[in-house]
Amino acid sequence: MTELIELSALEQAKLIREKKISAVELLEATLKQVDAVDGRPGSLDTPVEEPEDLEKVHAFILLTKAHALEKAAEVDRKIAAGEALGVLAGVPYSAKDVYCTKGIQTTAASRILEGWKPPYDSTVIERMNQAGAVMFGKVNLDEFTFGGSNETTAFKPTVRNPWGLDRVPGGSSGGSAAAVSANEGAISLGTDTGGSIREPAAFTGIVGVKPTYGRVSRYGVIPFASSMDTMGPLTRTVSDAAVVLREIAGFDPRDNVTGRVPVEDYLAELEEGIRGLRIGISPDYLKITYLDDDGNYSSAAIDPEIEKSVWRAAEIFRSLGAEIIEDVPMANTKYSVPAYFVITRIEAYSNLQRFDGLKYGHTTKEPVRDMYELYYKSRGEGFGYQAKLRLLTGMFASQEKFYEKYYRRAQRARALIRRDFDDAFDPAGKYRLDAILTPSTPSPAFKFGGATASDSLLMQFADQFTSPMNFAGTPGVSFPCGLSSEGLPIGLQATGYDYCESKILRIAYAFEQATSEEDWRKVKPAALR
Amino acid sequence: MTEYEVIIGLETHIQLNTVTKAFCGCKADSWGDPANTNICPICTGQPGALPSTNKAMVEKALMLCLAMDSDINMDSYFDRKNYLYADLPGGYQITQNDKSIGRGGHLDFLMDDGREVRCHIHNLHMEEDAGKTKNEGDIRLIDMNRCGVPLVEMVTMPDLHSADEAATYLMRLRQLLRWLGISEANMEKAHLRCDANVSIRPKGATELGKKCEIKNINSIEAVRMAINFEIDRQIRETEAGNKIEQWTIEWDNDAQELRKMRSKETAADYRYFREPNLMPVHITEAFLAEVKAKMPELPLARRARFISEMGLPEYDATVLTAERDTSEFFETACRAYTGDNKRVSNWMMNEVLRIVNERGLSVSDLKISGQDLADIIRLVDAKTVNTSTGKKLVDLVQDSGKPPKKIVEEEGLGLVSDDSAIREICARVVENNPNEVATYRGGKETLIGWFVGQVMREMRGKADPEKAKAILEELLKAG
Repeated sequence: MTELIELSALEQAKLIREKKISAVELLEATLKQVDAVDGRPGSLDTPVEEPEDLEKVHAFILLTKAHALEKAAEVDRKIAAGEALGVLAGVPYSAKDVYCTKGIQTTAASRILEGWKPPYDSTVIERMNQAGAVMFGKVNLDEFTFGGSNETTAFKPTVRNPWGLDRVPGGSSGGSAAAVSANEGAISLGTDTGGSIREPAAFTGIVGVKPTYGRVSRYGVIPFASSMDTMGPLTRTVSDAAVVLREIAGFDPRDNVTGRVPVEDYLAELEEGIRGLRIGISPDYLKITYLDDDGNYSSAAIDPEIEKSVWRAAEIFRSLGAEIIEDVPMANTKYSVPAYFVITRIEAYSNLQRFDGLKYGHTTKEPVRDMYELYYKSRGEGFGYQAKLRLLTGMFASQEKFYEKYYRRAQRARALIRRDFDDAFDPAGKYRLDAILTPSTPSPAFKFGGATASDSLLMQFADQFTSPMNFAGTPGVSFPCGLSSEGLPIGLQATGYDYCESKILRIAYAFEQATSEEDWRKVKPAALR
Repeated sequence: MTEYEVIIGLETHIQLNTVTKAFCGCKADSWGDPANTNICPICTGQPGALPSTNKAMVEKALMLCLAMDSDINMDSYFDRKNYLYADLPGGYQITQNDKSIGRGGHLDFLMDDGREVRCHIHNLHMEEDAGKTKNEGDIRLIDMNRCGVPLVEMVTMPDLHSADEAATYLMRLRQLLRWLGISEANMEKAHLRCDANVSIRPKGATELGKKCEIKNINSIEAVRMAINFEIDRQIRETEAGNKIEQWTIEWDNDAQELRKMRSKETAADYRYFREPNLMPVHITEAFLAEVKAKMPELPLARRARFISEMGLPEYDATVLTAERDTSEFFETACRAYTGDNKRVSNWMMNEVLRIVNERGLSVSDLKISGQDLADIIRLVDAKTVNTSTGKKLVDLVQDSGKPPKKIVEEEGLGLVSDDSAIREICARVVENNPNEVATYRGGKETLIGWFVGQVMREMRGKADPEKAKAILEELLKAG
């Protein structure tokens, strides 16, 4: 029999509602799984990784057992009393440690926030509460979400990929992805500024949704680049992603950029199928384009196994009644990585200025002469390498004298990237697409240290297929499509137009249903074998 | 000695009197509240908290743009001004940099000598205030109550040419802000703050001299003094053959002196960029129309109308349009009175404003209304009361809040017009003063005034003097 922890969130919720299991029972099973596979939690006081650390997943920074038990018991009490229940009542979930949780330590995986307990809950956490879900822990990430491998966290040991413990889980929502793929909860909340939900989802063989910018409130989530940050679920099934998104999406008066667009019933609409949908494939998403040492654009092939997966999926979609449109130009994709570099660093630099060592978090214990020295020392000690790099590059690029050269040019590139999407999805245009099918990443999960190695082009450009959607503001879902010859998960991305989450979820769901009996679906992550 | 021309531009920060702060739901006015009590995750810069634009701030800023005749940007943007200071919890101030809500415009005002001055406006933008810093010994204290309070920064062109003009500009601005109801504009409470850029040049020169910026001037009188001091200093330096350097100077109000803060060699780089957390401020035509409909007639226009349509002398019009409430009280009284507006103006300036001054009230605090004033003047006109009783009535209505007619009835203040009562007193006065009667009858008829006075005294002012005079003449001539 399938274990409780292997079930989807919807299946777990159904068992609880039908009183076949209690919420407390499910929570305990989940915590037992964490105990079995996760190892010691990430901590600021763990400088050296011990050999036994290499055998564990280390998705979590903090387990909130007491808090979770209280919530689960409350769900059980409501069930006994026959009171109304949220759709996710009793389902345990974890949250990336950038979601503010009232009275519960929130770290952004940085020393600078050491000991900080937010005075408030983020909107998404509130909505998960309303749905009855039970948060049982906060998961690790790249420091302030700055990275795609989880290696930049200040909380060690680093998260490991359950499919290959010598490999990165992806990032920055690496803790979320590793937890869900290792059955440590069926749902984790992540954030995505350039691919931070979709890349780790692809690396760990699960589903990850980056919604339209403004679809899910950003209120109470520690920002990276405010004009691109999005919040979404990582789950093992498309249905779970659909139901979580439905619960957390919608207008929020506390987030100015959320739209007053009605939230569709993503879950119910999954069953509508994909007959008649026009799905595009772009050659610009089947190669990596980069600036070489001479400043010219060069291109490199992506992993051939990944390109093959795209065409195989296209065949499946065609057989399910979708129309496949090849050779859709997305010519400005190549600007994405450099423009991303400029805009995210400038916004990140500004967003990091509030961490001054005074109001909250880490304060230096060294003697200081004045306020500015207190700033310098606290920030020097509190920020990790990547945060400092972003501060410096962000301050450099945002100088008034460089405004035209960097920020304005990057904004123009952003507008061009957006135009690619506008043209492709224009209902009166040449392509009239409903979605574009792309690889989620140019390669499967790489080994630790890989992103900084000299031959790491594919890893450095790991977000080339995901960051354009953050620029354009459009939604994307990464879903698993098979395993590489090395046995590592491969993810595909369906991306659609603004607020068209329903369509891309239908595409991911159609693929999931059509391939449900395939052999690779029965393979468990290495850490669970 | 060379004659110099003085050139002054003012930067004013205007605290808008919204109920809540610019970007969160905290109470905006913390006057008298303990430190750090009107704060929340948003205005204290907690990680993850996001700003939301307060519509009331936009509306009030828009009213000011309309009043200054500025060009309104239907789409303006918020930007981040990045700098690190302990009273700025986010590490940046949310402000408007290159696409602010208003650009251009002017404020016209009259100097005491009647000269009209037009001061052009460079730009108007919305922004949030920072907190307050206070040093106590070795400890630096931060009060975040003021963080996020909405401000409009309005910068003038260098159009002012004396300390007097600068002071008058500020007085007129203060009047206008209160008139519009968008700021309490109390300089002592820092609702209205002023920095002045001052430079001099020889008369006739076309190039601008190096300017010095005087910061922290917190009253009209201080503005006048500080600018005059600075003009004197610059002239002295120039005459002594020294170059004026670009300084930032602080006005020390306690010592009443200027103090150099720093030489300004390089401008700070605030690394402005669009605040990504806020949508552009989009003003719809409907919203603009709604705000326009709320706009009152402005002081100068009202003053002109009081002169041209209501027939007031310039002096009266100036006094009666000093405050919006005063002008509205006056107009209410005129509408109720429907007679000589100048007569209402006299009563208004002599009696109503006397009470306001004597009792330290503002016109809006008065219990007496424009309707009451009109009623009192009518009672005097109808000779129900005499003028001095009428003046007393103004005080009595203000004290009791009762309508004038009721007070007259209750207190028996009405003039006695009953012939027999007056006749009785007149007869007694004639009987008791045989000498004066003889003199009158001897031909000195001007003595009639003395007789009337006696009657009025006997009747404690309540007699209708016209009637008394007629009866007295009848009695005296009959003899």
